[in-house]
Amino acid sequence: MAVMNLSLGIDIGGTFTDIVAYEHDTARFHSHKILTTPEDPSQAVVSGIEHLFRTARLDCAGVRRVVHATTLFTNALIERKGAATGLITTRGFRDTIELRREHKYELYDLFIELPHPLVRRALRLEVDERTLADGSIETRLDENELRERVRDLITAGVESVAVVLLHSYANPAHEQAARALIECEFPQLQVSISSDVSRQLREYERTSTTLVNAYIKPLASGYLDRLCGKLAAAGIGAPLFMMLSNGGLTHVAEAKRVPVQLLESGPAAGALAAAFFAARSDEHNVLALDMGGTTAKLAVVENGEPLVAYRFEASREQRFMEGSGMPVDISTIELIEIGAGGGSIATVSELGLLKVGPRSAGARPGPACYRRGGDEPTVTDANLLLGCYDAERFAAGTVPIDPTAAADAVARLCPATGMSAPELARGIHAVVNESMAAAARVHIAERGHDARNFTLLVTGGGGPVHGCEVARRLGIMRIVCPPAAGVASALGLLVAPARVDRSASLMHSLGGMDWQALEAAYAALEADASAVIAQTLSMATAPQLARLADMRFVGQGYEVVTALPPGPYTESTERAIREAFERAYAAVFGRHPPVAEIELVTIRVRATASAGEGQLAVGLTNTDAPPRPRTSRPVVLAGGAAPLTAPVYDRATLPAGLRLVGPALIEEPSSTLLIPPGASAMVQASGNIIVTLPEADSASMP
Amino acid sequence: MAASARFDPVTLEVLWTRLISIVDEAAAALVRTSFSTVVRESNDFACVLTDARGYSLVQATDSIPSFIGTVPRTIREILKEYPPQTLAVGDVLATNDIWLGTGHLPDITVAKPIFRNGALVGFAGTVAHAPDIGGRIRSADSREVFEEGLQIPPLKVVHAGTPDETFLRMLRKNVRVPDLVVGDLFAQFAALDLMERRVLGLMDEQALSDLAGLAEEIQGRSEQAMRKAIRALPDGVYQHETITDGFERPIRLRLALTVKDDAIDIDYAGTDPQVGRAINVAMCYTYAYTAYGVKAALCPGVPNNEGALRPIAVRAPLGSILNSRPPAAGGARAVVGHFLPMMVLLALARAFPERVIAGVGSPLWCLNYAGVDAADKSIAGMFFINGGYGASAVRDGANVLSWPSNISSTPIEMIEQLAPFKFLHRRLRTGTGGNGRHRGGLGQELLLESCATGPLTISFLAERTRPEAAAPGIAGGGPGAPGAVLIDGAPVDPKRQHVVAPGARIELRTPGGGGYGPAAERSPAAREADRIDGYTAHTGV
Repeated sequence: MAVMNLSLGIDIGGTFTDIVAYEHDTARFHSHKILTTPEDPSQAVVSGIEHLFRTARLDCAGVRRVVHATTLFTNALIERKGAATGLITTRGFRDTIELRREHKYELYDLFIELPHPLVRRALRLEVDERTLADGSIETRLDENELRERVRDLITAGVESVAVVLLHSYANPAHEQAARALIECEFPQLQVSISSDVSRQLREYERTSTTLVNAYIKPLASGYLDRLCGKLAAAGIGAPLFMMLSNGGLTHVAEAKRVPVQLLESGPAAGALAAAFFAARSDEHNVLALDMGGTTAKLAVVENGEPLVAYRFEASREQRFMEGSGMPVDISTIELIEIGAGGGSIATVSELGLLKVGPRSAGARPGPACYRRGGDEPTVTDANLLLGCYDAERFAAGTVPIDPTAAADAVARLCPATGMSAPELARGIHAVVNESMAAAARVHIAERGHDARNFTLLVTGGGGPVHGCEVARRLGIMRIVCPPAAGVASALGLLVAPARVDRSASLMHSLGGMDWQALEAAYAALEADASAVIAQTLSMATAPQLARLADMRFVGQGYEVVTALPPGPYTESTERAIREAFERAYAAVFGRHPPVAEIELVTIRVRATASAGEGQLAVGLTNTDAPPRPRTSRPVVLAGGAAPLTAPVYDRATLPAGLRLVGPALIEEPSSTLLIPPGASAMVQASGNIIVTLPEADSASMP
Repeated sequence: MAASARFDPVTLEVLWTRLISIVDEAAAALVRTSFSTVVRESNDFACVLTDARGYSLVQATDSIPSFIGTVPRTIREILKEYPPQTLAVGDVLATNDIWLGTGHLPDITVAKPIFRNGALVGFAGTVAHAPDIGGRIRSADSREVFEEGLQIPPLKVVHAGTPDETFLRMLRKNVRVPDLVVGDLFAQFAALDLMERRVLGLMDEQALSDLAGLAEEIQGRSEQAMRKAIRALPDGVYQHETITDGFERPIRLRLALTVKDDAIDIDYAGTDPQVGRAINVAMCYTYAYTAYGVKAALCPGVPNNEGALRPIAVRAPLGSILNSRPPAAGGARAVVGHFLPMMVLLALARAFPERVIAGVGSPLWCLNYAGVDAADKSIAGMFFINGGYGASAVRDGANVLSWPSNISSTPIEMIEQLAPFKFLHRRLRTGTGGNGRHRGGLGQELLLESCATGPLTISFLAERTRPEAAAPGIAGGGPGAPGAVLIDGAPVDPKRQHVVAPGARIELRTPGGGGYGPAAERSPAAREADRIDGYTAHTGV
């Protein structure tokens, strides 16, 4: 009999498309991985679903809900494959996007290359209109001129237009009028207005965000329409929801309207999955480390929820260099990307220091040990020499690897460093671990936290090999290694609660607040967010509402996002709001400045509702017999030059409740968990393996 | 690990990475807690860690060149007045002396000694540009440093964790915007606290008893890398001469760069004497900007610390405009100092044009304003803008980029929220990039109107407004267009202070960058793109 209560998760990455079907009644899931079809990504989705449903004997009619995440739009932006886009601005300000902030992301590079604007100057046109800083209108929008300029853009082949007018965050009337005119008279154009996409002060950042939205909007519309059509044709009548960059969900109509919110959709699903797996081990403050072939990604989960940032940079000119990309002011799961992966190449710098990454051998040619033409030493080569991998069974035996090639590649660095190949292999392992730890340390500290209060959750091909060492460098004692890491993001789509965020610019000091107006503004945002939630879940659960505000001391330029007490607000709420801000500020920065006045810059509302999931059945071996190691091999570990003999276990054979003591290696088809000496590991019924490190011994650097 | 132990390439890389993450973290905290747009929008600050003697280990990645090497030097000067035995845990020292600091009064350097087990092991230091320092507003017009504001000699401003109320009251009374100035100072203190905590944590974790060995290793390696880069240049003397707008009359700067084996000696002999206006450069600033030019041209990848600077000697005659004597005013030193790295590049350009860039439409431009608002409260502030970047063998110059400094512009929407101005435009200046195979970057033009209810005092930093001071092209490229400052449509002397009435219109036109290579070699496609996008005038080559 067909299962009639299914949710379907679809995660499209640059290389693979993952499909996960989740049975609500049994909490079991089925998954399938298929190569992404870049020319029409919906094709892989449909053939993947057909394959999965056939092999798992599921019925499309049983699907109640479809949730989708994708990196397609980020990739389109990086590859500059978006629509022909035009820009309309206030007279005198069409060059804002090109003038940027006049800042260099690298101080010493005389030949610095800056990001090219998405819209060339000839397609940036101006109209007469002016709104002042207080929102008052000084010069009315000249609609005739607007009409002429839009015609000019259409003549030049523009398909999508962005409208960014000065001070529209304070008063969006002119932008709204422009949108109404364009939609009415030029229905063939897609329109994005800045007060809708990112209603925030700072014209360059707002223009950048709005242009990115306009640039990917036709692509997003076309793709989502096609996907919905194909799902319906396949017999899936359930509505499609999209995962936003901030981990919230939205319906297709909103996704088509503001697709810039989907840029980090894929990684957001990964972070939600990390939070979910950690919670199953009762871990709620987690640093999630996802180390792949080219990069490592870090996300912070606090009190069970991934942290959200309100700005990120898209399409960096220098991949890992802050400031080299386009600012995008939207809320997004906070992720940092580090140039540290299995393919990261080790070199000797002009100072004679051992450096690892950010250059990567990637999948092609790949690490030297793959013997596909790479001859530079990589992290994977070093790990192989240290004994972390079984040359016969690497990647489930699909990728043959050669220790001799790895040794030859690493030996190339001996003359420049005066170190032996084994010393270098340990060094490469140590340097890549420190670069991940350093990035994590700054990232966590910028949020006012201490890494030692977190648990590390490791995923990706490299996470389990490096996790314990990275943890030790951060002073973290516990490491969680979840099951099913290969399709975690797609699973994350189904286990995440539905969430919708809304925000508005306010810019008002707390003293002298018009409390009625503030309450009305919050209530309007709450109504809007609740309406979207209701559509998303098509069930009558009342969402949980939370009020937040971006606040600062008067005179500061950066805000602290502060959770506020629930409404309704009156004069008597002032004190509670002030105290909430002072607490939040002290938590991040410690010291209070000698200033008393506080202002609210942006108000935010978050509506969440549980989608009803949260259970997950994981198949574990059910045996009382103590598992035997499959084999054992010598492995070199941090702090010790001499190899130790470590037993090697197959993860699939380990029963719940099992305890192991390091050194030990636990192998899965896609990764190897390295348990250092003195550490203990425990297999939980949740499917997670928990590693506990011994008390720190400080002399074990590097 | 003993302090004298050798550091292998792995240990050193790991520790160095850690130290850089500490100063970068402090820089992020300073930006987020500061009050003035100078720090948070324009990045006009630096964070540094030194050893116990005041020699730098690391400097925050994003620090602007004027602070290269200045903070450690300032700390060593402060140490002369406050030797280690006079310092306690929780003390903070400060100064804005222009000869001990960075060459002008608004930059306040603060330093905090770091003690471990009772022994002084290092200093956390920051320098930040205060939004006001009293005196006349910043202007090239001042004649003596006394006119330029409050001078803070090396002083202990926090005693074992307790801020010195006498000092703070004195400071507040002397500045126009005390909340912003003191707010930023506290943000600097917070950055110091953070560096102290992190360094002590690192030393505990690594069982380091001091930082001297690490400092020597870091500086030694950086020095060797710089020497290697210098040795790759042919020995010889490379010369350059530059004319700047000056004050009332142009100023001549002369440079002779001698490469000998693995060292560089730069001598500014023949440069004009100091003048009775605020465009004089203290030697600390001359050194910082000259060294920046050498490092950018020869060794851009070496981290920012004093070791890399050791092979570079810089000299200027005492009493010249590049090595001023008290009480010379220096508030507008950037309008001369920013020429120096370009002079280094242009001296090298004759022999190695492909290693450098054409003239940049720098120095940095700035508008300062002061007055009172409708409620009779003092207002004061400033914002920065930049000119076009120089073209190079690889590409056109960027249209408007901060160089050699790295000072961001302030958003127009932010300025209109905070200051009594309304902007009519901020746009690229068509046709201002120097011609060449690669075109120089365009300058920009701003037109703004005073919306103040009464008169406003304004002054500028502005340069390259005389045709002979235009940013030169190299390898056959043409010069960028000179800049201009106009009030109500009439050109004015940008070095003087002006008082403008409500409704007055101020226009700033920054210079373009120089071109690279002969214009005849520019590709037809690039010419056509320039025409379509209006980067060049329609009639132009």
